[in-house]
Amino acid sequence: MKTLKTISNITGILLFGFIFLFNSGKLSAQNKLQTSPGGYHGENDFSISWKRYYTYPEWTDMMKDIQKKYPHLATIESIGKSRMGREQYLMTITAQSAGKHNTKPAMWVDGAIHGNEVNGVTSSLYLIWYLLTRYDYDSYVHELVNNTTFYILPGLNVDAIASYVEFPNTPNNPREPYRPEDNDGDGLYDEDQTEDVDGDGELSTMYMEDPKGDYKLSTDKRRFIRISDPLEDGKRFRMIGSEGFDNDGDGLINEDDIGGPDPNRNFPYGWNLQAGNPYPMSELCTRNVFEFQLAHPNIFVGFHYHNTGRLIMYQAPPDIRKNLTPQQSREQEEQVQERLKEMRKTNKYAQLVSRRVAPEYQHDMDVQLDIVTTGARILKNYRPVLSGLSGQAPASTYYMLGAYSYLIELWGMPTFDADEDGDGSVSDVEYLKWIDLELTGEGWIVPHKVKHPDLGDIWIGGSPKKHMRRTPPARYVEMEAEKNSKFVLYCASQFPKAEIEEVTVMPATHDLLWIEIRVKNDRVYPTYSDRSIKLGRAVKDQVIIESSKNVSQIELIEEYNLFEPTNQGTKFKPLTGKTTEFRLKGKETVVFRGLIKLDGSKGWIEVKVKSKNGGTDSKKVNISVGP
Amino acid sequence: MRFIKTKTIPVLRVMFLAFLITSLPHVFAQKVPISFDAYHGYTATTKYLNDVAKAYPDITELLKIGESTMGRPISVLIITNNKTGTTLDAHVTLNNMRKENVQNVPKMKKHQGKPGQWISGSIHGNEYTGTEVCLYIIDKMITGYKENDEITKLIDKKVFYICPMINPDGVYNSVELGIPQRYNSMKKDDDEDGKINEDGPDDINGDGIITQFRYKDPKGRYIIDDAEPRLMVRLGKNEDTTKERWSVVSEDIDNDKDGKRGEDPEAGIDLNRNFPEVWFTDDGLQGGSGSYPTSAPETRAIAEFFTNHTNVLMAQNFHTSGGFTYRPLGTSPHGKLHAKDVAVYDMILGRKYLELIDKTVPKAWIYPDSLDVYKEALKKTSKNKYAIERGYELPRGWRVSYNESADRRYSYGMASDWMYMQFGIYATTTELWNPENDISDFPKLEGEDRYLQRNRALLKYQDDHYDGKYFINWVAFKHPELGDGEVGGWVPQYRRNNAFPGEPLINVCEKHWQFELFRARLLPEVEIKDVDINVLYTTNKAQSASVQSDSDPVKIEKGKSIGKFRVVEITAIIENTGALATHIGRGSTLAGNRPDVIWLLGGNDKIEFLQGTPYQKVGVLEGKKTIPGYKARPEKVASSASASSPYNRRFRRFRRVSYDQPGKKQTGSTRTVKWLIAVEGTPTLKVVVASQKGGTKVKNISIK
Repeated sequence: MKTLKTISNITGILLFGFIFLFNSGKLSAQNKLQTSPGGYHGENDFSISWKRYYTYPEWTDMMKDIQKKYPHLATIESIGKSRMGREQYLMTITAQSAGKHNTKPAMWVDGAIHGNEVNGVTSSLYLIWYLLTRYDYDSYVHELVNNTTFYILPGLNVDAIASYVEFPNTPNNPREPYRPEDNDGDGLYDEDQTEDVDGDGELSTMYMEDPKGDYKLSTDKRRFIRISDPLEDGKRFRMIGSEGFDNDGDGLINEDDIGGPDPNRNFPYGWNLQAGNPYPMSELCTRNVFEFQLAHPNIFVGFHYHNTGRLIMYQAPPDIRKNLTPQQSREQEEQVQERLKEMRKTNKYAQLVSRRVAPEYQHDMDVQLDIVTTGARILKNYRPVLSGLSGQAPASTYYMLGAYSYLIELWGMPTFDADEDGDGSVSDVEYLKWIDLELTGEGWIVPHKVKHPDLGDIWIGGSPKKHMRRTPPARYVEMEAEKNSKFVLYCASQFPKAEIEEVTVMPATHDLLWIEIRVKNDRVYPTYSDRSIKLGRAVKDQVIIESSKNVSQIELIEEYNLFEPTNQGTKFKPLTGKTTEFRLKGKETVVFRGLIKLDGSKGWIEVKVKSKNGGTDSKKVNISVGP
Repeated sequence: MRFIKTKTIPVLRVMFLAFLITSLPHVFAQKVPISFDAYHGYTATTKYLNDVAKAYPDITELLKIGESTMGRPISVLIITNNKTGTTLDAHVTLNNMRKENVQNVPKMKKHQGKPGQWISGSIHGNEYTGTEVCLYIIDKMITGYKENDEITKLIDKKVFYICPMINPDGVYNSVELGIPQRYNSMKKDDDEDGKINEDGPDDINGDGIITQFRYKDPKGRYIIDDAEPRLMVRLGKNEDTTKERWSVVSEDIDNDKDGKRGEDPEAGIDLNRNFPEVWFTDDGLQGGSGSYPTSAPETRAIAEFFTNHTNVLMAQNFHTSGGFTYRPLGTSPHGKLHAKDVAVYDMILGRKYLELIDKTVPKAWIYPDSLDVYKEALKKTSKNKYAIERGYELPRGWRVSYNESADRRYSYGMASDWMYMQFGIYATTTELWNPENDISDFPKLEGEDRYLQRNRALLKYQDDHYDGKYFINWVAFKHPELGDGEVGGWVPQYRRNNAFPGEPLINVCEKHWQFELFRARLLPEVEIKDVDINVLYTTNKAQSASVQSDSDPVKIEKGKSIGKFRVVEITAIIENTGALATHIGRGSTLAGNRPDVIWLLGGNDKIEFLQGTPYQKVGVLEGKKTIPGYKARPEKVASSASASSPYNRRFRRFRRVSYDQPGKKQTGSTRTVKWLIAVEGTPTLKVVVASQKGGTKVKNISIK
């Protein structure tokens, strides 16, 4: 092969603009653009207080109102009705002038699949508000809303969400959709629910005076504490349990509360009877979601908001290690920790796990670790961990839809600032001090005497109020929501973007020319996931060559790998015809080479890149061969 | 686009009318006459179910459990005496309920307090013989009520859920339109051309029947049968021939002009692969149909029905054809069945089934005590490890779809396996119709070309008995795409799979009605045999007192029960008088199932429980029938008081003392349950036994 020289004798290489599909000139200029971090970013254009929780009618009205304010960016629809007949409202956010929602890669966000985890509702609403109010002011948001679609379902399990906010509840209930269930096997369904016995709007713990009990009142009379010395004098109490009546007269209290199958064990992937009774997608609220997702194959990433624990639970490809002895797994774990220690010398948020995946899944694994490393940086005190299967929504998002998925456990007990003795946990005393100092005393139920129809004289109290444990006190809602919105936006900013970096034409021999095309994706995500290939849902990327009539292409066989003579390490993909199919991974540049024949001295070629999720790009090159 | 119109074949209508006229004196006795001289299809089945529900309001109820893709109802006819039976929720008063007042729990219906049996047909739309058998069973039951003692008793005490068409769209297309459709209907775009269901089969010659088109084709896979030139014989895989080769295709044209015929029909997915059992999707492979388990509206309707009707213990899903029954499992090997359930399936149900279809019963089932001997013998003769484990090979008439010799599952996501595995139901899949069994003078078929012999015999049979109306003779026709050829062949409704109407169909129906009747006789039935009231202590003024019952002494303290009260010992004896236990071997511990319970009710203000709790779990009550070939392993027996309930620790209000002292665990079909209570005044108390699958019974007791 003749040595190739670079192009000095080819003149007139013209580059025709760099056109990114969605960001075309049709869009109006961002005339309210704010570039100062101290400036106004639109937050009062539609003002919402983020210092409280909202009832179902309130937050759904809020969605309708904000949609009316930004109809060019947002549409609202109900994806279906819940068991108790509530609408599940979903908001689609994208700049409609820059393309229809279903033509752009999409971010899915849902909140509060567990009804008691209503912080997911506020965080999702905050994301809606952030995107819409900042669109005109914030160039980062502007570009994301132009190029991406956001499908946001703030409240998934609407029935339990509605109850959790409006009625007295424990941090753990109501959590599931309202399918009748016989928890205690007595033949009756949901017949013994929790009740607010003292009518104070909170559900606390009931105690009974009992000389044989193992609790006493603390000296400040705010808590019941366990008696350690069996001979200690004083009034003793027996714990009855959470507040409620014995509705069915069977001697047990709250033993068959409203409940039903765990909606986050109700999705098809990895579903099992023990955790997911009665059957996959049995609940209207989860089925509506999955049907919507199936009908929207442009969903590229899914976020699922839960409480609590400050976790970034990411779905990863299956582990292929089998039958490891405890010794082997210990050794592997040690090696990983060793490497991680090295990595953390330069980035304390670096992530690595001892999972080994099949080679065809390696890219997904790398992408997820890359994303959650940044996630840990953005969310700061959140910890990335691998997510499980067993019918959980994120498992189906990844394994059945081929979309990258994350389950975020929002908020957590205030260990980081209340743990004064640094023992890693917040004691009752430290917890009360946190309440006194930071919540100015709000949030605790002081023990008090109450008359109970089934039990007689009892005491109720000694526990935090609602929105103190699983869901944050309202004043922290914005703090959690803001950084979580940033993480979602960061992920959207890493959606693939296929760009033609450079097209070069070089003489080969006689009337043949080499054409070299560099296509790059500088984002973290590939144009489609490894998993979507396995599912047969992937649409391959394409390089398409158009040219003037006097240019013809010499077809190269696919297996033909060309090597740069001067740099043996660089690998090229041969152009196999007018259209060449390929896959653009995350942070990857693919270099194509082809041979063309030019009749005469002037001609042109136009290179187009088409990618379902990475958009399109094109470049035109004029060729003239002259002396 | 599609030339065929909705109409039944005229000849059937004529025959049906003829039947009505000739048999008038007989049908007069039936409030809703029915004949089996023509297939009912979707339209007539729906009308029949509505008519029956109207004519028999006391013993039937028509329940719509869902809707197909094309908007047709999926109906279950409930047959039971609507006046008898009770449910637990009708007797328990709930007090001080939560202010939220969620109305998510519907009131239970009386039939949910009775042992239930499910019978379904046509989950595959082209297997509509099952629908006919369902209608036959309905007719036998409703006309037998008050006429036949056994049927009357069954309708009074049990409940029958009969779903003649799980797949009404498939039945409609198969019977009314003559487009055999195994799958459900779905609005989808198979060929991804942006249009939905635009290219299905067509009646190209406009005779109202979609038959077949045959044309000479050097690459064809068919030849004309020498003995019966109307029949086409398919060549074997590498079989050569000197005869003229033909291709045979469905009567069809390329509606959307995309070069393919029939590539986007209404047919959707196989519903009997859309259930959760062993359904999976992974790495480009999928076991089971649909985008997820229960994705089809029909499957979901069934799943929801079974979730809400946990009283079902027996289930039959009719398919065609073959003349045999599959018992579970097809999705997993034999070992996943509980040993007791294997015995019930094979030695009781299977034996009866083989007798009904007149096939040989395996010796091991007749002499179950010698199972070990048969096992030893099989070790020498059989390569089927599962047969060796059991002591017998499963006969052709009663089999599993799991391939035991190759150790390979048959398929994924099937209904009967799911019913057994998830709900603990004795479910079966019967493949109806085998002309050799069901037509009395049908020739015996032997040799390699049995299939051909059978087709010849069927063709002859329809010549002799149906004036040849089930077969259209081949007539020359010029196909717009394939050129010259001939249209003809079996009228699709009778082409294969389904019992010929009239005598053959009635033969099929009668055998399977007998089998379902046999199964109904086996259902459990829990009864309150006796309630004994023993007043131990009476006072007008509450004082401290000590009462000695047959276990712990109980101290009654002043101020606890004020006023006139008595201390009473109540002893209830309950018994399962049915043949089978109140749960199958697999059943009682499954998610969604529960052991039987007994309640003593009387209002908290009137009675105080001194010993024993208001409700007690009594485990599973065995049936009266000994299960041949099954030796109960010493199993963990549920204690009669719910001492193991996790709630006891936290929410205890009453003393929970079990009358079942160690060493006195109760097993068998009866339980004795005791309470020691303090009663104020002379209230009426109730003992309610609520067995999930054995029925709910109540007895009022008054203390005088």
